[in-house]
Amino acid sequence: MDLFLLAILSGLGAGGVFAMLGSGIVSAYKGSGVINFAHGAVAMYAAFTWSELTLEGDIKLPWFDLIPNFGFLKTLHISNLPVSISVHDGGFENVQGFWGTFFPIFFGLLMSVLLGAMLHFLVFRPLRNAPALAKVIAAVGAMLYLQSTAQINFGTSLRTQDGFLPKGSWENALGLGGDIGWDRVWVAGAAVIMGLVLTVIYRYSNFGLATRAADENEKGAALLGYSAQRLALMNWVLSAVMAGTAGILFVGIATLNPVNYTLFVLPALGAALLGGLSSVALATAGGLALGMFSSGMVNIANQSWFPSDQIPPIGVQKVIPLAVVVLVLFLRGNKLPVRGSIGVKGQPRAPQSNHVLLGALFAVGVGLFLANIFTTNWQVTFTTTLVLMLIMMSLTVLVGYLGQISLAQMAIAGVAAYSVVRFASNGEKQNDFDAVAVGGLDLPDPIAAGLAILVAVIIGTLLGLPALRIRGVQLAVVTITAVSAIEEFFFKNESISGPGARTNNPVPRPSWFGWDVGIQDKTSFLTDRWQFTVFAVIAVAVVGIGVANLRRGQTGRRFLAVRSNERAAEASGVDVARTKMLGFAISSGIAGAGGVLFAYKLTIIKFDNFGVFTGLALLAFVYLGGITTVYGAVIGGLLCSGGLVNGFIGLHFAGVTRDYITAVGAIGLIINAIVTNGEGVALLQSDQGDHVLSGLRRKREDKPDDPPSDVADTNERVGEPV
Amino acid sequence: MSKLLETNGLTVTFGGLNANDNVNLSVEKGQFVGLIGPNGAGKTTFIDAITGYVPMSAGTATFDGTDIGKMAPFKRAKSGLVRTFQSLELFEDLSVRDNMLVAAYPSRWYTWVLDMLHITPKDQAIEDHVDWALEIMDLTEDADRLPTDLSHGRRKLVGVARALAAQPQLILLDEPAAGLDTVESQKLGSHLREFLDHDMSVFLIDHDMGLVLSVCDYIYVLDFGQIIAEGTPTEVRDNPAVKAAYLGEHAGDLQAEAGSRMHDMQEEGDHS
Repeated sequence: MDLFLLAILSGLGAGGVFAMLGSGIVSAYKGSGVINFAHGAVAMYAAFTWSELTLEGDIKLPWFDLIPNFGFLKTLHISNLPVSISVHDGGFENVQGFWGTFFPIFFGLLMSVLLGAMLHFLVFRPLRNAPALAKVIAAVGAMLYLQSTAQINFGTSLRTQDGFLPKGSWENALGLGGDIGWDRVWVAGAAVIMGLVLTVIYRYSNFGLATRAADENEKGAALLGYSAQRLALMNWVLSAVMAGTAGILFVGIATLNPVNYTLFVLPALGAALLGGLSSVALATAGGLALGMFSSGMVNIANQSWFPSDQIPPIGVQKVIPLAVVVLVLFLRGNKLPVRGSIGVKGQPRAPQSNHVLLGALFAVGVGLFLANIFTTNWQVTFTTTLVLMLIMMSLTVLVGYLGQISLAQMAIAGVAAYSVVRFASNGEKQNDFDAVAVGGLDLPDPIAAGLAILVAVIIGTLLGLPALRIRGVQLAVVTITAVSAIEEFFFKNESISGPGARTNNPVPRPSWFGWDVGIQDKTSFLTDRWQFTVFAVIAVAVVGIGVANLRRGQTGRRFLAVRSNERAAEASGVDVARTKMLGFAISSGIAGAGGVLFAYKLTIIKFDNFGVFTGLALLAFVYLGGITTVYGAVIGGLLCSGGLVNGFIGLHFAGVTRDYITAVGAIGLIINAIVTNGEGVALLQSDQGDHVLSGLRRKREDKPDDPPSDVADTNERVGEPV
Repeated sequence: MSKLLETNGLTVTFGGLNANDNVNLSVEKGQFVGLIGPNGAGKTTFIDAITGYVPMSAGTATFDGTDIGKMAPFKRAKSGLVRTFQSLELFEDLSVRDNMLVAAYPSRWYTWVLDMLHITPKDQAIEDHVDWALEIMDLTEDADRLPTDLSHGRRKLVGVARALAAQPQLILLDEPAAGLDTVESQKLGSHLREFLDHDMSVFLIDHDMGLVLSVCDYIYVLDFGQIIAEGTPTEVRDNPAVKAAYLGEHAGDLQAEAGSRMHDMQEEGDHS
C-alpha cells in the first residue's frame, strides 16, 4: 500500500506539467474560444530553445529556410530567412553561475511569447469568425508545423539533459519508505503557484474581468469598450508562457524529442476539460490528479495479478486517465460552455457533382495510364497516394458531409489492417526473412478483407457514440484520445494482433478470386507489381463513386442537414442519432477498406503506420485539398507527404524531406482555413473555372445591354468564402 | 370530426415559472386552429412541448390517438406532427428544394446503399407534392438557390415549405408572418387555407390579429401560460377578457376590424 501511495506521489512531476499545460489551454480558450491542439508543441519548442541554448548557444527561430539553398537559386545568391542566431559560442552550459541558468530560461520564455503572438496574429485572429472545424484544423496545422519545424531545426533524436532544478531526492518521503526526486516536487509546486496566480488574475484584475466578460459575451464586452482581439492576444501570450514554463521545467525529468512533448497536449487537454475549459484552479487540480492517477495505474499494472499479457500496462498508464476524462465529458453532455462569438461564418460548402461516372472514368483512365508508365519508385509513391486518397474519403463523409470532427479515422484504418492480417494468416511465415509467424483464421482474402472492414465499422461506430452527446471541438479531443487507446490496446496488444504486434506484422500475400494482387515481385522483391496498382485504382474509383453519389441522394442530404442544424433536422423527421451513427459506420467502412489496402501495400505493418501524427497529417491534407468533395480527397492524396507531389519535389529538390512537406502543408492548411473556409483547392479552382467559363460565355453572347446581374452573381460566389 | 391533437392539463415549468399551465386544447381533423396571446404568454413553449423540444412537466398530449408525451422529436415529426420555427433554422448548405427533400423522402436502413449506387428510385408522388409546396409558397423560381441567397421573408417561406413537404397531418406554424412585409404576409394568409385541401390540419401561432382572425376556424387565447378564452373568431373578438388581456380596449377594436375586413375580402374573392 505504501508503495502504491509512493507511486502516486511520484506522479507529481508529470501532474505538474499537465496542470500547467492544462491551465494554459484554459487561458487560450478563455481569450479566443480556441482549443489549442498546438499547446504541447509550444512547450516542446520552448524546451528545445532552452536545450539548444544550453548545448550550442544558438536560438533557432520557429521557421526554416523557405528558399531552397541549392541549384540555380544558390547561384542567384538569394538570401535565406535568418533561422539561427548565435548568442553564445559553445553553449551556456559552460557559463557558470546565475547567467548560465538565466539566459536559456529567459530566451526560452521569450520564444514562447513569440509563438503565442504568432499563433494569435497569423492563425487565430484571422479565423476569429470561422466555424469550429476551421479552428480545430488550424490548431492541428500549427501543431504539425511546429513539430515538423522542430524536427528540421533540432533533429529527431532524443535529448537527455540535466535540468536546472535542484538535484537529489526527498528520502523516505512522508515515511512511505521510498524516495521522490525534489525536481518533481518543484514542478508540482510551480504548477500550484502558477495556477493560484492565474486564478487571482482572472478573478480580480481588470484584464481578467474583461476576459471573462468577452468569454461570456463578446459583443457585450465590445460594446463596453474592450477590444476582444487585444484580450485574445494577451491571453495567447499568457497561455504560451505557461506552456513554455512547463516545457522548460520538465526537460530535466523527461527526455525531449519533437514528438513526445507535443503529445503532452493529450493529458493537458484532459486537465483543461476537467476544469470545464473555464476554471484554471480546477484544471490545475485536474492535471495534478491525472499525473498522479496514471502513475498509480502503472503501479497497479505492474502487480503480479495484473493480466499484462492481455492488457499492455503502458496502455493502462496512458489511456485510463484519459478515458476518465471522456467519461466525465460524456456524462456532462453538452453542458460545457460553447463560446458565442460575433458573426460565425457558415460551414464549408458541399456541392454535389453531376458528372460522377464521367469524372471517375477519367480518373481511372489517368490512374491506369500512370500504372503503366511508372517505374519502381514512382509505382511505390503512386500506390501510397492511392491509399491516402481512399482513407481521406472516409473523412470526406464524416467531417465534410456530416460535420463530425474525428481525428481517429486513420486508427480505424489500422484496426482493419491489423484485423486483415489476423483473418488471412495461416500461422506460417510469409517469407523466410519474416521475424514472426502470425496465427490466424486462414480465410480467403476477399472474406478476410470484408471481415476486417466489418471490425473497423464496429469499432468506428462505437467510437461515434460520444458524438451523440459531445459536439464540435470536444469531440475532436475525445477521438484523439481514442487513437491512443486503439494504439495501446489493439495494435500493440499481442493477444489481439498476434506476435508481430510490437514489432513488424507480416501481411499475407493477397489473392482476390485467383488474381494475385500482391505488390511485391516474388523474385526481385521490389514492391512495384502493376497488378496491385490496378487493384488500388479500382478500389479508389469504386469508393470515390460511392462517396460522390452519397452526396447526391437522400443520405447525403440528411448528413448535411445534421451538419447544419440538428434541431431543424429532428423537426424534419431525421433521426439525428441514427444518422450520426450511420455516418460513422460508412466512414469507418471506407477507412477500413483503406486500411486493408494499406496493409497490402506495406506488406509489413507497424503500429506507427497508423499513429496520431499520421492521422492528423491525413486530416490536414484532405482539408487542404477540400474536405467536402471527393475531388478534394484526390487532391489531398496527391499533396500529402508520401504522395506524388511530395515524390516529385523530393526528386527534383534534393534535401526536401517529409518534414518540409508537412511544415509547408501545414502553412497551406492554415491559409486554406482562413481563405476558403476549408473548401480547399478543389472548390477554389472550380470557382475560378466557373468564373472563367461564365466570362467566356458572356463574351460570346456579347450583348452590350446585357444586365450585369450575371457578373455580380459570379463575383459574389467567388468572393463568398473569403 | 375526430380529434387529431389533444392536450390535457399540459404544463411546462421552467424553474418555478409555469410557462404553460394546465393547457387543454384540441385540434380536429381538417380544422384550422389559431393560438394567440401577448409576448411571453407561452405560445412557442406550447409548440416546443408538443413537438418534444422541451419536456412536459405534467399533463398528457395525444396525437392521432397515440400518447406522444415521451416520444423523440423526430418520431413525432414522422408521425405527421410537423412544426416550423420562429427563428429560421434552415439547412443553409442545401438548396431550397433539397431542404424540402430532406423532409419529404423517408430514409430506410438500406437507403444509403441505394444512394451510393445512385439507384434510389424517384417517387413521383413525392416530387409532385414538393412541386406543389414550392408553388404555393411562391418559391418555384428559387428552388435551386441556397437559403442564404434569399431575403429574410422568403427564407421564412422556405421554412413553411419544408414543413409542407413532409406531408404532415397537422402543421404547426410558429409565427410564419413575423418578419414578412405586408404584401408577403397577405399572400401567405391567402394561401394558408389551401393547406386544408391537402389532407392537412393547421395550427397557427401569430401576432398578426388580422391574419389569425381571418383564417382560423377556432381560436385559443393564451395569457401567462393559461388559456383564458376560446371560440370562433367572432366569439374571441367580442370576448371582454381577451380585449382586456391582449388587445387593449381601443387598439383591439381597430385590429379586429382590420381582421374582419380581410376576412370579408377573402370571402368575396372566394365567391368571385
